[in-house]
Amino acid sequence: MAPFLFHLGKYFILMWRAFSRPEKFSIYRRRLLDEMVSLGLDSLGIIMVISVFMGAVITIQTAANIDSAFIPTYTIGFTTRQSTILEFSPTIMALILAGKIGSNIASEIGLMRVTEQIDALEIMGVNSSAYLILPKIVAAVLISPFLVIISMFVSIGGGYMIAMFTDIVSVANYEYGIQLDFRMYHVVYALSKSAVFAFIFTSVPSYHGYFASGGALEVGKASTRGVVQSSIIILVVNYFITQIFLI
Amino acid sequence: MIEVKGLSKAFGEKEVLKNISAKFEAGVTSLIIGASGSGKSTLARCLVGLIDPDEGEVLYDGRDFVHMTTKQRKTVRKEIGFLFQGSALFDYLTVRENVRFPLDILTDMTAKEKEMRVDTVLERVELTDAHALYPSELSGGMKKRVGIARAISPKPKYLFCDEPNSGLDPQTSIVIDALIQEITKENEMTTLVITHDMNSVIEIGEYIMFIHVGEKWWEGTNEEIMKTDNQEILDFVNASGMMTRKR
Repeated sequence: MAPFLFHLGKYFILMWRAFSRPEKFSIYRRRLLDEMVSLGLDSLGIIMVISVFMGAVITIQTAANIDSAFIPTYTIGFTTRQSTILEFSPTIMALILAGKIGSNIASEIGLMRVTEQIDALEIMGVNSSAYLILPKIVAAVLISPFLVIISMFVSIGGGYMIAMFTDIVSVANYEYGIQLDFRMYHVVYALSKSAVFAFIFTSVPSYHGYFASGGALEVGKASTRGVVQSSIIILVVNYFITQIFLI
Repeated sequence: MIEVKGLSKAFGEKEVLKNISAKFEAGVTSLIIGASGSGKSTLARCLVGLIDPDEGEVLYDGRDFVHMTTKQRKTVRKEIGFLFQGSALFDYLTVRENVRFPLDILTDMTAKEKEMRVDTVLERVELTDAHALYPSELSGGMKKRVGIARAISPKPKYLFCDEPNSGLDPQTSIVIDALIQEITKENEMTTLVITHDMNSVIEIGEYIMFIHVGEKWWEGTNEEIMKTDNQEILDFVNASGMMTRKR
């Protein structure tokens, strides 16, 4: 228990330092734009590929599990939409990004630590935690909801392709299903959730990278710890968010 | 001038620095020498505030750095240039951007003034042609020169060089040593070089402090070190074949 509390305290102190007033806003603005490109736009390809197959598989799986003649086939479209918006796009995408972006962040900051680049920043009087971590967190929190929106459209589009090219469900029934009982609150809930997850999959690997020590092996271990812990935290937080805001 | 008074530091039970006192004058290239693990780098890190000493004072032109607030320390840090053993150049920035970085962060210079200063400094270290390259594209000697250029670009009053010749061939080492000494004279800086390179001791050691297991064992000039009877220094100096020949 003591090591957990030690790391938790250290994490919050680092976040406190990271969110302190920047030395020069112009430098941070430039860093923020760079991070938005590197964390957001560079993830667009993988998000789209995963989402299209995710939507297609949800559609097929739902159809395969509906045996009763009393359940209308438009339920397939409805289920695909609900699963995508409520869970798959925000949560699965967060887990994918935790792997892709999280390992990148932990290894980048970790390498800067072991090659004394962070010390160089500190000696120049730069708040290294704010300079390195804050733009990454802000960029991910801002860009993540947009990635999730794209994922939602592409995933539902994946299901639409199944409706078009197979006999599992008719296009008309699928279209009816994805429009049935639509609630905007669910989208807002999903986007808010994605912003929280973005904070987790950037801040946790940042913590592990920032306090890495030694050489390449330790940086690799820090990167793994960052990804594993942020993934677990995302799943635990997802449970609580779902329990609080959806039930 | 940097004055050190009774500086001590221990990591757990192990005393790394024991009651070190010294004066490093402006316009003089001062060398801190000693075997690996003698406490040289820890002393340098205490002097610039990367490690807080347990006891003692570090006075930058009379200003007690150790007992300053974080804000006050930032003011002094803006006057410090530091050349790291591994150069610690920022991987994601070009040579020009690395050299301009302290100017962006620490000064209110206009863009034109910054560019002029960068050109002057790059010309001084003879790297004008390499301004667009990234650190990964540079040789060891070039990295050191960029490190020096970055350290001196904001016109610091104090320059620290941690093992400036490590990993360099003898000819490049001589060039780097000469550059450090010339820059010290030109800008009337207080320069501290942490080294165990005996060639540097002979060539640029205007003031030399020898540290042995965390204690100041000897101090003097490069001429005096050749005549000392101190056994630890003799053992250290004679370990270099070149020095044996000179003596």
